[in-house]
Amino acid sequence: MASWPQNPKLIGGRIPRLDGLGKASGKTKYPSDVRPDGTLFGVLLTSPVPYAKIKSIDASAAAKMPGVKAIHLVVEAGGTLHYQGETIGGVAAETEEKARDAVRAIKVEYEILPHVATEEQAMAPGAPQIMNGGNVRKGREVANPKVDEAYRAADFKLDSTYSIPVITHVCLESHGLTVRWDNDDHMTVWASTQNVGGVSGELAGAFQIPATNVHTMTEVMGGGFGSKFGADVWGVIAGHLSKKAGGKPVRMFLDRSQEHLTGGNRPSGTAHIQMGATKDGMLTAMIAETHGTGGSSRGANFPLPYVYFVPNAKRSHSDVYVNGGDARAMRAPGHPQGCALMEAAMDDIAAMIGIDPLDFRIKNLPPKDFRTPIYLQELELGAKAIGWKEKWKPRGQNGSGTIKRGLGLGLHQWGGGGTTDKQVSCTINPDGSVEVKSATQDLGTGTRTILAIITAEVLGLKTTDIKSNIGDSLFPPGQPSGGSTTAPSMSPPAYNAALQARDAFLAKIAPALAAEAQQLSLADGQVLIDGQPKISWKDACRKLGMGSVSVTAGALPGLSSNGVGGCQFAEAEVDVETGVVKLKKIVAVQDSGLIIDMLTWESQVYGGVIGGINPALFEERVMDPGSGLMLNADMEMYKLAGASDIPEIVVIPLDTPEMRARGVIGVGEPPTISTAAAIRNAVSNAIGVPVNKWPMTPMNVLDALAAAKQGKA
Amino acid sequence: MNAFEYAGPTSPELAVKAIGRSGAAFLSGGTDLLNRMKDYVATPSRVVYINDIKPLAGVHASGGAMSIGAATKLAAIVHDKTIEAHLPALHRATAEVGTPQLRHMATIGGNLLQRPRCWYYRNGFGLLGMKDGKSLVRTGDNRYHAIFLTDGDALFVNPSSIAAPLIALGAEATLLGPKGERTIAVEKLYQVPKSAADSELTIAADELLTKVTIPRIRGKNATYEIRQKRAYDWPIVLASAALELDGSKVTSAKIILAGVAPIPWRSEEAEAAIVGKELTTESAEAAGAAAVSKAKPLSMNAYKVTLAKVAVKRALLTIAGKKYWEEA
Repeated sequence: MASWPQNPKLIGGRIPRLDGLGKASGKTKYPSDVRPDGTLFGVLLTSPVPYAKIKSIDASAAAKMPGVKAIHLVVEAGGTLHYQGETIGGVAAETEEKARDAVRAIKVEYEILPHVATEEQAMAPGAPQIMNGGNVRKGREVANPKVDEAYRAADFKLDSTYSIPVITHVCLESHGLTVRWDNDDHMTVWASTQNVGGVSGELAGAFQIPATNVHTMTEVMGGGFGSKFGADVWGVIAGHLSKKAGGKPVRMFLDRSQEHLTGGNRPSGTAHIQMGATKDGMLTAMIAETHGTGGSSRGANFPLPYVYFVPNAKRSHSDVYVNGGDARAMRAPGHPQGCALMEAAMDDIAAMIGIDPLDFRIKNLPPKDFRTPIYLQELELGAKAIGWKEKWKPRGQNGSGTIKRGLGLGLHQWGGGGTTDKQVSCTINPDGSVEVKSATQDLGTGTRTILAIITAEVLGLKTTDIKSNIGDSLFPPGQPSGGSTTAPSMSPPAYNAALQARDAFLAKIAPALAAEAQQLSLADGQVLIDGQPKISWKDACRKLGMGSVSVTAGALPGLSSNGVGGCQFAEAEVDVETGVVKLKKIVAVQDSGLIIDMLTWESQVYGGVIGGINPALFEERVMDPGSGLMLNADMEMYKLAGASDIPEIVVIPLDTPEMRARGVIGVGEPPTISTAAAIRNAVSNAIGVPVNKWPMTPMNVLDALAAAKQGKA
Repeated sequence: MNAFEYAGPTSPELAVKAIGRSGAAFLSGGTDLLNRMKDYVATPSRVVYINDIKPLAGVHASGGAMSIGAATKLAAIVHDKTIEAHLPALHRATAEVGTPQLRHMATIGGNLLQRPRCWYYRNGFGLLGMKDGKSLVRTGDNRYHAIFLTDGDALFVNPSSIAAPLIALGAEATLLGPKGERTIAVEKLYQVPKSAADSELTIAADELLTKVTIPRIRGKNATYEIRQKRAYDWPIVLASAALELDGSKVTSAKIILAGVAPIPWRSEEAEAAIVGKELTTESAEAAGAAAVSKAKPLSMNAYKVTLAKVAVKRALLTIAGKKYWEEA
């Protein structure tokens, strides 16, 4: 088993990302900025209606419009459209405006079918069925035989329904790519993707050419969150348009509204939860009937029960199909929903029992789980940072004025392990330059920088001495960036490649230094003989003569691991007259094994928390039952936090020798999971009344207060 | 966006001449019109750009009255010291509009004459949000819609947060048309449309709003806005109040709500409840309750009744200097 350096100079430090300046200064070109010579602008034609058969489609007038170079349709007369925003085809023209005009000039006649746009509509008796097998697909029930009995016998019984709506990805850079046919069987692609290899593979398959003939590049990209793994139907359309236009590059990116409608979303989750517990705060039973929608064809499942040990559990889940855009993976798929629903019930039953919700959680951690000792350490750190002991008060005791303060928390878990079949090449050149290459990509997470850190660590150089080349499908096979797998998949081969390159390099220059290779080592930009600096890195490299050292290597075992915990605490202020929630502080405590770059690691956690604040307070896809359309497919009524909505965020790594010994684990998903749960619990703690619908808007908060008042009256 | 003709007149009179045809639209800051054009909600055949017309911009005080050119940027209003000192109701409402970027583009005229933000209107279902002769709003997602006049067909809310303080302050609007100038109370800019063909604005297609004039203010005034987000958001409900006081006794009151009706909503009930009373927490509370006594919320927006009540109360208590909601 290999191991990481015991006393690293760089690994674990706070190292600025290599592409930071280029991004911040605008010098770096994102895929949507790329304009190869002769670029034509593609615009996608998408369905304006929720559910319809196409009676006829006529693009002849559009084809004759000035500047229009190609039209490609993927749905023909007789085809069915299942949601507003479903792709019909695309146009390539000399300008974006001409392409837009031409898209509007394509005449489509629809036979409108009765739609179901909301889950309520889809589940209603007599609803039009949009799916073979029905709108509601019930999964297999998983049940402990004694669960009903255990629930009946419980000292405290919670019976509540919670729901969290569909949210969309809202990547800062929209989905898309630019495609150019270089000749009959070669394509060049500039894609905003989490998977350069996947884009090449999908296009190669669509056009029946070898994948090696499709050169996909993603130098940087503006966010994917799980929604950008392939070329997508619009990418294939761009390929057809380019082919029809004689190979000219065609740029095809979704517009902002299509981004909401077409680019993917996170499923909703609703849970009717019956939970039982003993007087002294032990969970005894949980019965959960859940449903959610992943749009017109995707599932909507999520883990439940979540994190805690429930001795007797029953769970049944139904996927509900609606005429709405389809789900795609979104940062920790399923977990934020499962976490929110579980943690809400945990807080509500803790309030019934009259137990401190922090103690209640500690009592109900799974006794034999490897994460339990990790959670215990994290909870201690988090509770201290938020001031739980001093500040937490039971519901209903959080001030007499109109502004109430409350605390809440949530726990989460994720895998974050990697694969072992990826490769990195490391090249040392006679001029002293060092280049690493792999066909993985940097989503903004810091992948480029951590590969350079690892290489520089081994070669005794600075991170900025390393040219870290990724985001190119022709490079050695790299990891698709999903599930927090990039760092654990790519760090081991980067380390191995650097070690092998170092050894080959030292072996090659040893004779010129009149030394044996095993006498040589590297540190601080010097080659050392028996520990004494002898010659600078650059001078040593010159001794390579005409030949570079180049090694392509795979993973070594023992350098990465899988499985993390984590917890978050929120402090919120709620105006009980207006229902307006103001966040005061979020504390995020996270483990993820060995942290390569503390700075980019913290950025991941900040981003995760901010990504979780949005569904906690603001985000919601609003579907109209009457028209079947999404009412807020824009950046005005689809609400997201601005800078002034973000509270103080305290990020605490669980960075201990035990954690470091686990090796590298990804951190992309976990820190976004429990934020919405912690905030909801803080709001409910503040106002003394459970709020059971996300997001925590004035409407949902005031409705919860009004319902509680009515219940009491 | 459809192709359009473009005119850049240099005087208000030339602007009116340039607009003189159907299907034309004035363009000032563009923060509303351009979005509607991009979404094909508005398709003007000609756009008349008025932002370069110097006499249309600027804040002028004379004899205690204040005149604000229609093309004055919101940022200029926010930065005006006289407005900040004497017209806090206007200042507050203006300072909370949009973002710094928007306030540096958007103008007061554009804010007053922007079209409703109703998501049915913006999705192409017209001002009344109708499909196949039925209201989508009434049975749909009306969380942001009206709580007054809801027996009618117009369920959107007037989107201007600046109209409310201007009306409370008794401001007038000057309109220039082909036949000359006319001056009307700001509230007369708005009407409740009776059919989908009606506009919610009374201004004629060939008239240009040139300025608003606020008379000398003797009493005190304030605005309280309730919004969900701190960054870039619309008010859910906003209340502006202008009071004349004899000591702490209210001798006259004008209380206007935004976000609750298809027009800026004058609450005579709230005014009646506070006039003749000492301005106290109790009387402000009573005025708030009176303000919503005739509210008829839709299926999803009962919460806005609470918000309207609280907004009126807090606007009044801002004048009284009792900001109890800032205590924590």
